[in-house]
Amino acid sequence: MDRFSLFVPNFLPSKEYFTPEKNQACPGCGLALAVRQIYKALENDIEKAAWETGSNGSSLLQLKRGKAEIMICLDNEASGGITEAVRKSDPALAVAEGVSYMATASPSYPFDLNEKLKKALDTAGKTYLHILCPCPVGWQFDPELTVKIGRFAVESRVFPLYEVEGGSYRQTVMIPKPRLLADYLKLQKRFSDLREEQVEEAATQVENTYKKLI
Amino acid sequence: MNSRAQFSNEMVRCSLLEKGDGKPFKPGDRREASPEWDKDKCIRCGLCYVYCPDGAIYRADDGYFEAELDKCKGCGICHRECWFGAVTMVMEG
Repeated sequence: MDRFSLFVPNFLPSKEYFTPEKNQACPGCGLALAVRQIYKALENDIEKAAWETGSNGSSLLQLKRGKAEIMICLDNEASGGITEAVRKSDPALAVAEGVSYMATASPSYPFDLNEKLKKALDTAGKTYLHILCPCPVGWQFDPELTVKIGRFAVESRVFPLYEVEGGSYRQTVMIPKPRLLADYLKLQKRFSDLREEQVEEAATQVENTYKKLI
Repeated sequence: MNSRAQFSNEMVRCSLLEKGDGKPFKPGDRREASPEWDKDKCIRCGLCYVYCPDGAIYRADDGYFEAELDKCKGCGICHRECWFGAVTMVMEG
């Protein structure tokens, strides 16, 4: 087999840091995948790490190394309907709070997440990362589709991947042809009782927030 | 054997009543299907390794990938994400 010599893990640290003997995560957990990728990016070089529970059921991870203070929000959308799922964190808010670096990431794009976390470790001061973790039990989809749904969320512009560095906004993953929002919602059983008007309403909302970001 | 243990034998799914009852079990014990690699189709790109949530996939000495069955929970992400369809999920009997 000498068709390709590309080996994806060469771009990531090959050592495994997230090695629990027993973890209680469900099969196909997006949060476990995100935590594993975070551990890989950190490479055990960290001073302090603390877990918190956020207001809407999401878990917050606080990290400290030197001057860098990172707050990571692992959002699995445990509460809220379509309006909360469509509306995402605003970069303007983060800038107003005095965050020097802010980014969104998804475990479906591992190299993107790795780069952003490395950048957050290098910048001094407060940094904030928002990670969308698909949850097979809460969102009611097949555990196979975890990575695919995370990708659909980015491609349908529900969860655009961007970073705000020193007040300047930059999109890291460009989506020239957006996917239909219905494709993203159809895969999840939690949205199975939505009517078509509601889906259209949500689609216009997604477009509006996306235009605001640009 | 006390009465509580007898009662737990009758219960089919929920038999973990005492602290430490879950010690002999491993994450892979509740797996429904396990991945298998077709070495003719596999190009050893390592996407399955990157996307495994449990860190169960490792690189064997010959360069191909294998799953550590104690850790694998059988979610099927490697099967879904493989570009060449090299990973198939085999139901466990």
